[in-house]
Formats: sequence, structure tokens, C-alpha cells
Amino acid sequence: MQFESSNSPDSSSQQTDTELYRLLKAGQADVLGILYDRHVGLVYGTAIKILTDPQEAEDLTQDIFLMLAKRCSYDPERGSLRTFLAILTRSRSIDRLRSRTSSRESLRRWQTNQSPEGGVDSPSEYASQLEQSREVQAALAQLSSDQQQILRLAYYEGLSQSQIAEQLNLPLGTVKTRARRGLIKLRQTLTDYTR
Amino acid sequence: MAGSLPSEEIELLVAGYVLGDLDAEEAEEFQRLLATDPAIAQAVAQMQDGLELSFAPSEVAPPAHLRDTILNANRASHASRVSAAPSLFSTRQFPIRLRQILELLAAGLIIALAINNYQLRQSQQASQSLVPSQNRLTYALRSTTPDLSAVATVAVDSDSLEGTLTAKNLPPLPPGKVYALWTVLKPGAPFTTDPQNAILTNVFQVDAQGNAAQALTVCDVHRSREWVAAVAVTVEDAAAPQKHQNKPILVAAL
Repeated sequence: MQFESSNSPDSSSQQTDTELYRLLKAGQADVLGILYDRHVGLVYGTAIKILTDPQEAEDLTQDIFLMLAKRCSYDPERGSLRTFLAILTRSRSIDRLRSRTSSRESLRRWQTNQSPEGGVDSPSEYASQLEQSREVQAALAQLSSDQQQILRLAYYEGLSQSQIAEQLNLPLGTVKTRARRGLIKLRQTLTDYTR
Repeated sequence: MAGSLPSEEIELLVAGYVLGDLDAEEAEEFQRLLATDPAIAQAVAQMQDGLELSFAPSEVAPPAHLRDTILNANRASHASRVSAAPSLFSTRQFPIRLRQILELLAAGLIIALAINNYQLRQSQQASQSLVPSQNRLTYALRSTTPDLSAVATVAVDSDSLEGTLTAKNLPPLPPGKVYALWTVLKPGAPFTTDPQNAILTNVFQVDAQGNAAQALTVCDVHRSREWVAAVAVTVEDAAAPQKHQNKPILVAAL
């Protein structure tokens, strides 16, 4: 797993993603190569997991990075680039899946077998879909079911907090706090597996 | 965090940043903390790890050629964007004050041209072979040869300059080749083009069924339909699509 921040060893640059993104927007096209090296594993990995077709995953990966270079809604002040890329890639992958001319069967198969959108809410089922380790499953089990669900909806399904609040019939502030506290707990529990 | 154990509020800010849900006030506070406390960056990295270990699929390395394909496409696109909005006069050639005066004159000329363009656009709107829907322009590309049944559609929002490209029945290409989407300009258009009067707009591939569907960001020339003569697709080398070496296989002439 590659990481985004300034403290991660990077042979090409010690600059943060935020600094590199601003350089990219200022016209330094070659900076894209550094961001590509840091994040392509996440982007391509997400795309191939959903689309299953290597060519389509390549096409989408290209779209994502060119979009990042040219025009996108990412605000580096408000969130990490990796999370933005992960959510964008997943969202665009699902869009592509839906737009395939012969996609109906693929979409049904994918929803049935791979996506929690297919009604899989059990933590153990969800964990096995992501091929998580026992340690990660144990860490997730320490979160409340609300925290797990909100984090999944926010990160894995890319829903906004307003959408989550509406879907779960919870106040917006509650959604925000539970998501953040859940992530803090994950970090504490998974200390041995993070940097 | 080393040296400065974070308060709960700081951790909540870090979590909000990793989740991408900071509001404006929180973002300002987070940036201040990030600039003053090196431990914040470490906390961000750890929370990002925790989030991805729990909810992201495993990373997968893409084919090696993809990096060059993407970076070359970006360089070509960047070059076309830069040339489409050129600095009219080099500081090496003109003293700063003279340059500023000339740029002001140029700006005035551009405004006059823009007004003229708008008037022309109003009068020519009915004759355009594209379909405007509010600010959306749609270009229907057709095959240039009868033995190719492929079609493509480019839809562009002239305000946001974002759009979509869809293509059907295009033959999948061998490795090292890509489809290139071109915006061909009318003679005298105030944009820098390649020798064939075209701007490289995007490169793309099709799936095994010959289909493509992807988002686009186009250059400023698409804000004004006056200068667009055609939108076309060619097959080019993936390593250097900007060389524009081949004839169109799909075209929408305006």
C-alpha cells in the first residue's frame, strides 16, 4: 500500500499531495507522475475489483488521473487526496458497469457477489468481501454497528453525510461525529498495521 | 502523536480530513495545525491506513505501459491548453510596460471579437450541425468509410467544459495504439493548433465489444462554437498521440 502524506518515503518527492496537487493545477504537468506513482495501486485496484476487466480498469484509471490533472472538484483543504480518489474511482467504476451494453448480467453478478449494496450488512460478510485480515475484522468488530455502517456508506459507497443522515434517519452532526470517532477507534486498534 | 498527544478535538479534525468532510472553519483549523505540528501528518497517514485496511480493496499494480500512456496524454492535453491560451508576447521580446500595453490592446480586441462572435453565433445557431441544449453541445460523429459501422457522441457543457464521450463499434486497438479525439478549428481561429488545424482533446480505448464511455474535460475553444470546424477521431500511437499522423475514421463536421 502506498501512502499520500509528506512523511511517507518517496524517492521522487517529499512534497505532500496537497503541494503536488497545487503544482499540478499551476501547470506543472510532470507532477502528475508523482501522484500517479503514489496512488495508482489504489485507483487501479479499486477499478479492477469492480469492473473485473483489465482494459476497462486501465481506461478508468487513465480517466481518473487525467481528470485530476485537468478539472475536478477536489478541495485539498478539506480532505485527503487518497480518499477523494478512492471514492471517485469506485463511483466511476459503478457508472461504467451500469453503462456497459451487456452490463446487466455483470452488474447483477457484481451486486450479488461483491457489493454490500446488494444487501450485505453483516460485518463478517462484508469483511470477507474485502478479503480483510482477522486483525482488521477484529478491529471493525470493536466499532458499534452504526459506526461501521456510517464509515462504509461514507468511504466505500461514497455517500455524502447528508445522504447518510437521511438514509439512517440520524441528525447530520451525529453522522459526522460517529464516522470520525469510528475512524479514530480503527486507528487506535490497528496501530500495529499502520505507519 | 510524538511530543504532543493530541486532544480529542484534534483527532476528530484529523479523522474529518481523512474522511474528506471538514467544513470551512474546520479546514482552516486543520491546515493551521498541519503547518505547525509535524505529528498531524503522521496521524493522517495512520488514519488513512486504518480506513483503507478496513474498507478499500487491495492495491493492484497496473500494466507498466499505463503510466506512459497517461503522462503522455496529460502532456499533450496540457500543451494544447497552454497553446490555446497563449501569452501573446514574450518578456524577452518586449519591455514589461510595452507588453502590458499590447496585452491591454489585445484584451480589447478579444472582447470585441467575443461580442462579434456572440452576434455571429446568434445568427448561425440554426445552421449549426450540432444540437445545443441550454449550454450543452452534442457532436454526433459518423464513420468516414462505409465498411466501419462505428459511431461516437461527444457532449460538452460549454460553461463547465466538462462532457462525455461515448463510442460504439470501434475495433479494439493493438497495444501501443489509442484513439485520439480532435477538435478541428476553422482557419484564423485565435488558438494555437497543430499543422492540421486541430487540438488534441482526449485519448481513449474501447472495450472488447468496441464501446467506450468516459468523462471529458475540453479546452476553452468549446466555450465558443464559432471556431470549431469539426470533431474527429483518429488512431494514433499511444506514446505520442499529439503527432496526429493519421486521417479521421469518425468525424462530425459543422
